[in-house]
Amino acid sequence: MSRTPEPHPATASADETMLAVENLQTVFHTDKETVRAVEGITFEVREGETVGIVGESGSGKSVTARSIMGLVDAPGRIGDDSSIEFRGRELTGMTENEYREVRGSGIAMVFQDPLTSLNPVYTVGNQIKETLRVHQGIRGDAADEAAIDLLESVSIPDARRRLDEYPHQFSGGMRQRVVIAMALACDPELLICDEPTTALDVTIQAQILELLQELQEERNLSIIFITHDMGVIAEISDWVNVMYAGEIAESGPVGEIFENPAHPYTEGLLKSIPGRFPDETYLRTIDGDVPTPTESPTDCRFHPRCPKKFDACEEVHPAPVDVESGRGGHQAACLLYPDGLTREAAVKEHERQMEDSDTEADDE
Amino acid sequence: MAKWNYFLRRLLLSIPVLILGTTVAFLIIRAGPIDPAAAILGPSGDPTEYEQLRESLGLNDPLWDQYLDYMWNLFTFNLGQSWVISPGDGAYELIASYAPRTLWLGFWSILIPLFIGIPLGFYAGLNPNTLSDYFASFGGIVWRAMPNFWLAIILVSVLSQSEKLFGFEWATFLVETNIVTPPPLGFLGDPLSLITAPGETWPVVLGATKQILPAALVLGSASMGNEMRIGRTAVLETVNSKYVETARAKGMSRRNIVWKHIFRNAMIPLVPVITGEAFLLIGGSVLVEVVFGINGIGYLFFQSAIQGDLPLVSSLLFVFILTLVVLNIIQDLLYTVLDPRVGFEDQ
Repeated sequence: MSRTPEPHPATASADETMLAVENLQTVFHTDKETVRAVEGITFEVREGETVGIVGESGSGKSVTARSIMGLVDAPGRIGDDSSIEFRGRELTGMTENEYREVRGSGIAMVFQDPLTSLNPVYTVGNQIKETLRVHQGIRGDAADEAAIDLLESVSIPDARRRLDEYPHQFSGGMRQRVVIAMALACDPELLICDEPTTALDVTIQAQILELLQELQEERNLSIIFITHDMGVIAEISDWVNVMYAGEIAESGPVGEIFENPAHPYTEGLLKSIPGRFPDETYLRTIDGDVPTPTESPTDCRFHPRCPKKFDACEEVHPAPVDVESGRGGHQAACLLYPDGLTREAAVKEHERQMEDSDTEADDE
Repeated sequence: MAKWNYFLRRLLLSIPVLILGTTVAFLIIRAGPIDPAAAILGPSGDPTEYEQLRESLGLNDPLWDQYLDYMWNLFTFNLGQSWVISPGDGAYELIASYAPRTLWLGFWSILIPLFIGIPLGFYAGLNPNTLSDYFASFGGIVWRAMPNFWLAIILVSVLSQSEKLFGFEWATFLVETNIVTPPPLGFLGDPLSLITAPGETWPVVLGATKQILPAALVLGSASMGNEMRIGRTAVLETVNSKYVETARAKGMSRRNIVWKHIFRNAMIPLVPVITGEAFLLIGGSVLVEVVFGINGIGYLFFQSAIQGDLPLVSSLLFVFILTLVVLNIIQDLLYTVLDPRVGFEDQ
């Protein structure tokens, strides 16, 4: 079970792809219905990069994270055509034991609620040291020292004493630091943070974000940061994926997304950031709720709430296309794009792309 | 340490509970229709003799005096003598001769649910909605639903006809025993004989165990069902908790997660169930003792109550109350050991 820590390959260039998610589908089969929580999303994470995933509750963000970690249990299933490749290793279809090696040592996860993600009946030191033991084979006094180092690296004062304290003796922010320290105890290369600041108040939020950025620099971590808070995304991420109803609605470099949002959904999200329009009495919102997708999409899932919808939106499922033709990176799954084409031509382009991907899937 | 403060406070709180409990017991006994003088003399008693007896037993003293006497005697552990059941014998001797059988019965009827009910419940909780879970859960409900008095009688009649029904004779199985008699418990008084004379003593232990098992199974049946159901729920709740997901995300093995992270947390809600039932077994064993012919303390209590043996009834009640308080203290101790959060809120 023990595994010597691998040093991060020094030769890895900054542009190297660490994690590639392709056509990820996660479906929950229950007696009543089939919920297609994640519907064919594709994105990648590069060395040392922070990728933000943003969206409303129920848009499939957390399921995406759990799918990558292999934590989706029955009745949930990952589709057969899905591929999750981490450092060239295919993760889908791995056995629980193979996955255990990836979890923690390759990819670690920080969960939303620090109050409940620590076991209440064991000391903080115990829980950090068990991680060290499993992944790095460190025991005894060496484990104590390593755990103290970890707690100090997440700026917990008086770490030696706090090692023997129980989770309930820590405040919320301190607990989240402990959870992060525990994730770091695995010496991961990729850290998935599932709404790590949502349960914390704003000042603590800022501290945790700062801590994550420091750790990223020190350890050359890649981070997937999941949140519904556009402000947090703007602060921390290099690349943003906007998710809606299990699909990626728009993706691009953080600056592009915030300055030139393409998808009407992203626009709506940006407009609903509090304080964006100080003169208005009420906060702008997007009317309606995220639908629970139960079938494969044949239309644009956002069309019932979209201010810019037109007839084709109900009939054609948009494919992710470059926002401005010829300029890579910034993509939106919306029939209004690519920008250069007329509306009819754009719709045709989407139809063609969807057919292509369908036949591709059939060929496999 | 906050938790030990908490425990000390619970320890001190048990004193008023003890006093209140014995007081209520006194009121119930004295205010009830029990007339010990009539019970001693029998129906043909002479009225003057009856009055004399009442006077000499102190029954004509003011109730207040009787109460103080009673409390003082109990709390100095001066339990007095039996008046009716076995006149002249001390309550201590009677308890000492009856209690081992009940303790032996109670011991097994706590042990059986503990080692069958809880593992079954945990197994069902770890494999929810599988065939074995349904089987265990349904079995738990059925087992729990069968009343003691009915189950006891059925078991006695099935065991005494086991040869006709199943083709093997329970009475001669392993060691020869009776189905309905008190088990031989001489070895409890001389535990060293288990080592010094193993050849003679162990068969007796085996016989005593075999004889008590059907009764223990009946007495423990409800607890077994309870512990199974609650164990299942507790495990299910823990399995779906965030810290178990965190442990999985850290790459812990399933064995580590089950035995370290789930087991201890799932035990916490089971503690009051186990200790609560431990007392029920002692108080509720009268029926089972009668059916299986085990002359235990439950049987003694029942007899002394209907025969108006006042000192024996109150002594036994005192012993029961004391047992309850001690069990509660054990429960608090277990909580304090299992759950580090105990006593934290009061800080």
